[in-house]
Amino acid sequence: MFHWLEKNPFFFAVGVFLVIAFAGLVEILPNFAEASRPVAGLRPYTVLELAGKEVYKKDNCIACHSQLIRPFKSETDRYGQYSLSGEYAYDRPFLWGSKRTGPDLHRVGNYRTTDWHENHMWEPTSVVPGSIMPAYKHQFTNVADIETAYAEAVTVKNIFKTPYGDDIKAGKEAWEAYKPKVLAEAKAVAAQMKNKDVKDMVAAGKVPEVVALIAYLNSLGAKRYEAKK
Amino acid sequence: MGIRELQGYATFFMTIIFVVLMYGYILYLYRSEKKGEKDYEKLGNIALDDEITSTPINTTDPISDEKKGAK
Amino acid sequence: MQSNAALEYDYTIAKLYTYTAILFGFVGMLIGTLIAAQLAFPDLNYLLGEYGTFSRLRPLHTNVVIYGFTVSGIFATFYYLAQRVLKVSMAESKFVMFIAKLQFFLYLVAATALVVTELMGYTQSKEYAQMEWPLDLLIVVIWVLWGIAMFALIGIRREKALYISMWYFIACFLGVAMLYLFNNMAVPTYFASGGVGSIMHSVSMYSGTNDALVQWWWGHNAVAFVFTVPIVGMIYYFLPKESGQSVYSYKLSLLSFWGLMFVYLWAGSHHLLWSTVPDWMQTMGSIFSVVLILPSWGSAINMLLTMKGEWNQLTDNPLIKFMVLASTFYMLSTLEGPIQAVKSVNAIAHFTDWIPGHVHDGVLGWVAFMIMAALFHMAPRMFKREIFSKNLIEAQFWIQTTAVVLYFTSMWIAGITQGMMWRAVDEYGNLMYSFIDTVTVLHPYYAIRALSGVLFLTGFVMFAYNMIKTMTSAKELTEEPQFRSPMA
Repeated sequence: MFHWLEKNPFFFAVGVFLVIAFAGLVEILPNFAEASRPVAGLRPYTVLELAGKEVYKKDNCIACHSQLIRPFKSETDRYGQYSLSGEYAYDRPFLWGSKRTGPDLHRVGNYRTTDWHENHMWEPTSVVPGSIMPAYKHQFTNVADIETAYAEAVTVKNIFKTPYGDDIKAGKEAWEAYKPKVLAEAKAVAAQMKNKDVKDMVAAGKVPEVVALIAYLNSLGAKRYEAKK
Repeated sequence: MGIRELQGYATFFMTIIFVVLMYGYILYLYRSEKKGEKDYEKLGNIALDDEITSTPINTTDPISDEKKGAK
Repeated sequence: MQSNAALEYDYTIAKLYTYTAILFGFVGMLIGTLIAAQLAFPDLNYLLGEYGTFSRLRPLHTNVVIYGFTVSGIFATFYYLAQRVLKVSMAESKFVMFIAKLQFFLYLVAATALVVTELMGYTQSKEYAQMEWPLDLLIVVIWVLWGIAMFALIGIRREKALYISMWYFIACFLGVAMLYLFNNMAVPTYFASGGVGSIMHSVSMYSGTNDALVQWWWGHNAVAFVFTVPIVGMIYYFLPKESGQSVYSYKLSLLSFWGLMFVYLWAGSHHLLWSTVPDWMQTMGSIFSVVLILPSWGSAINMLLTMKGEWNQLTDNPLIKFMVLASTFYMLSTLEGPIQAVKSVNAIAHFTDWIPGHVHDGVLGWVAFMIMAALFHMAPRMFKREIFSKNLIEAQFWIQTTAVVLYFTSMWIAGITQGMMWRAVDEYGNLMYSFIDTVTVLHPYYAIRALSGVLFLTGFVMFAYNMIKTMTSAKELTEEPQFRSPMA
């Protein structure tokens, strides 16, 4: 039977494919049958938080920050309770990261404030002396794409049954109708900040990236499900 | 039977099958060379003698060609 | 076909990919050196405004060296050696030539688009799969074109037995195709939401833990099928050819091949130890990672034994030096990987600088060395001139070897220091160090790594200069060298 493998490049290619596909078939696929179940009471990210997640992706925070607290005492002491699979149920993509040049952020919302983040993003060494993180001043002037974030909410609601409210639906008109809610949420965050340009921009109906990012960072941790208990 | 159990069995038996196949292949390689049906080591020369004008090591189907060569 | 006496191998495509390998190698390593320096000297983050921060440049570095330098190297060597081991010229088939040219053109388009979109911040934030969906589609087309060219060449071959190198290239093609497709499954939000928002944005089909599994199934096996499989394919051709020694054991190479194919895929979950993926899968990842030593070392030892009785070549042929050291680094990093995959070691090593250290002894010491040696070997055959300078290669070899050693030793120390400090507790069981203590302590090691980056880049510039001189002004050859590459 081994003649065939060596004889014909086509059979050979099929053989290789079977051997390499097998691990994925057995190891990966069955897990999709058990779809990620959210922990009890977990709410999906709001549109502003989704926009913040895009900023997190765009400036590629996962290059240096993980979002995965491993079950060791040294990690739970430092960052809080270890991460549960169900907490990631609405994370598309997952943002666990693979390198901690900076600390883990999975529960950063539990112990940092809007004010702290504002100072930190403007000048990291002002709150963490010795920090090697670059300042992200451009996030104070760049406008976050809340419209695309809304499109993402619509997509995951319609295709992956993420439990968003009825006011999240497809089409430009629905977005225009929904937009004020996002702006109101942004205003609430900006009210706790001191940067004047940021406040002006929000008042003018634009959301600076830093506002969305802070909303996202504040949502990390237990806040998205403990509030409902 | 739950999907997890199936997954466990599939993993276990497929691994066994692949291990058996691998050892079978080793046996096959050495046996066919001992019997003189094939000369695998000759194929190493494909890299060394690779001018477009040089004679191919194997011109047709390797198996029948090897047999001819052995006779 | 056979009657054409003047028939020659046609290296048009191999040459084109050689140029891009040199270009992207320089760009990718330049960015790499810059971001290494940024960690030691954070002020360097502000050279290019928002586009110059460490975080924005880091995926650009990985993508340019992987998809620019390494993949160019893979295509260049493929279009060179496939013709030779199949004994068929690309000039014989207009179809193959057209497909290959089209592939190269699209590759250039994709590479440019990749650099631009990543600088702008369009990303899926999945490691080594950052490209957004329009680029993914383009990459699928390029890959399929490569497959067509590959199988068309195989179809018209004269040498009926496939040489080992071809096995590895076929496996590279199939493996990357399968993994890339699965990992990049995403829904473009613009179309799913009735035309709202940006057309570039997409959302992953998998969420949370499932997404992590698929991603690291890809992340790990991208290393397998881009950094291991085709590079092994290269060394199986170039080392025997350059040394004039036929491969030590053809049978061992067959066994290593199938062993590698079977085992490699299982080991992906070792990237997710102690995470929220099912426990048995983590254990499976650990076990198979250790088993993986066998087929990897099988190939590496086969290569070293090929040099049996010919070790004198190591002293007088710098290309043999590169290739032998490459297979030695391959052994080092395939031993280091399984060690890191042991759960208790991983508890310390994961998230630290030991991981980039491990990656780089593989990619610098193994992948880059092998590709550069292969391109050096090809140059006299493709350009019909001898290699411009042997002394330059010798100097480059020592500079780059020093660089690799500095890189991985500094990162070993940095990683283990950091891992131990994160978990250090005082006599009352409280954490001893705040996080920032574990960052500032690494400064000297980051500085050493930046230095190693400068050294490796210097070596690469020497390589590029040597190659360009070889192409343009070295002494012309009257006939093609059989084994050893001639050099001045």
